[in-house]
Amino acid sequence: MALLELDDLTKRYGGIVAVDHVTMRIDAGEVRAVIGPNGAGKTSLFHLITGVVKATEGSVRFADQDVSALPAHVRCQRGMSRTFQLTSLFPEMSARDNTRLAAQAREGKRWLPLGGSGVFHGAAQRGDAALERLGLTHVADRPAGLLSHGDQRLLEVAMALAQQPRLLLLDEPTQGLSVEETAQAVEVLASLFASAGLTVLLVEHDMEVVFRLAHKITVLHRGSVIADGDPETVKADESVQNAYLGGFA
Amino acid sequence: MRFLIAVAALLALLPFGLPPYAMTLLTEALILGLFAMSLDLMVGYARLISFGHAAAYGFGAYASGNFLLHTSMPLPCAVLLAGLLGGLVAIGVGWVCTQATGVSFSMLTLAYAQLLYAVAFKWTPVTGASDGLAGIPRNPGPFGVTWWSTKAGFYYLTLACLLGTFVFCRELVRSPFGAVLRGIRENEAKTIALGYNTRRYKIAIVAISFGFAGLAGALYAPFAGFANTELLFWLLSGQVLIMVIVGGAGTLIGPVLGAVFFLYMQQQLSSYTDSWALFFGVIFVLFVLFMPEGIWGLILSRFGKKAA
Repeated sequence: MALLELDDLTKRYGGIVAVDHVTMRIDAGEVRAVIGPNGAGKTSLFHLITGVVKATEGSVRFADQDVSALPAHVRCQRGMSRTFQLTSLFPEMSARDNTRLAAQAREGKRWLPLGGSGVFHGAAQRGDAALERLGLTHVADRPAGLLSHGDQRLLEVAMALAQQPRLLLLDEPTQGLSVEETAQAVEVLASLFASAGLTVLLVEHDMEVVFRLAHKITVLHRGSVIADGDPETVKADESVQNAYLGGFA
Repeated sequence: MRFLIAVAALLALLPFGLPPYAMTLLTEALILGLFAMSLDLMVGYARLISFGHAAAYGFGAYASGNFLLHTSMPLPCAVLLAGLLGGLVAIGVGWVCTQATGVSFSMLTLAYAQLLYAVAFKWTPVTGASDGLAGIPRNPGPFGVTWWSTKAGFYYLTLACLLGTFVFCRELVRSPFGAVLRGIRENEAKTIALGYNTRRYKIAIVAISFGFAGLAGALYAPFAGFANTELLFWLLSGQVLIMVIVGGAGTLIGPVLGAVFFLYMQQQLSSYTDSWALFFGVIFVLFVLFMPEGIWGLILSRFGKKAA
């Protein structure tokens, strides 16, 4: 069953076509990577899916409903949770409070103007569970701004996970990490994807990360899809080789 | 909680020991403290800098002044109703001002305050124009209840409003709603991405903050016996912002101390020189440079208590 369907999705900025008639479908339970060289339109595509920018043409269907006209926060309420290419956290709050605030967004209580013990219980539990699954329990009480860059990247994933999303969107989760940190992060993510039955859309340009994590790969080049399929097919595809991989395979 | 009760008890005992002039000053300090606390909700918790908070204060003062002058409404009812009205009007104000963010937001709040200031000069039947409203009475309640018309009685009414507001605000900032405000303060884009409609939260906090500022203004009118356009002027907006920063933004208690400090320094300095504001300006600069956590932050770090 398709969880996310993009139909002829297009974004133009004046004369520049950032995303060019992209049609794509992601099934529930799938881990999909979108790859492409810098400027291929990967992040623009992310913004269109999550509603940060509105499409010029085409539609986004999520869980069998057209969400093209909905603003970002409403799409998030429907079950899309994302991370940012550049780490985006609440730096003065503890890691635990970061995940708690994320989890709280899916609760009816998020408007409650009364404090007291108990109101945060459910959100705190889901937040803590997410921290544990990303191996961050030992830094839970530290301010997020003081964590190592690697832990900050994982904390952002934990925040998204704490929302128990139907679709998890990760924008270059290993961006800016050292080689060792990348290897660690990839292991954590791989075991997370394997155990949780998550549907994931991943933008990444580190090929090793992509081939390790994704079930299926979509290749973008100058805003349009030039190849689509499982990792082996994509690796072997000639147009991909020419456009991008440059002899990697 | 125990700390709060101790402070409340101490403040409640003060009328028995202080001379009348000091009581007047203290009452004014508490009113300004309430005003500063209301601004702290926006500045300290959501980082929404209002340059037009006097608009809410002056609005409350004119509203309660009119209720008291033209109806026989008992004083506490007039005060509460004026605050409530200020909050309701501020929903619209918040809706307009939150169209913008950052400095533009602040400029819109300033524009709103200056708009009210200009209106107050022209709308003579309601505001008395440049004369203002004078002789605002402390109307009695039913069955001859008049305890709030004495100096001590009015002080207790003010104290009750301040403590009630404090308890409400403290609950608010510790609640899920308050957690979202802190999210907006630290990273609004992320807060939106998490699925929060941040605009609505901002409108709500503007309304609540303006409502309590209106309550403070509504107390000021019967306290002073008059309401004039100065209560709407940008100078007051700037002063209350200084009280918040000097006292310690984002602490609720700090701004009250900031207001007390401001009033005290004003009294002391103005007995030496007419240009007291110049010297207070120096104090303010020193605070910003060397004590950005404010008075309450200093007290907390001295005595090692957790922030309230």
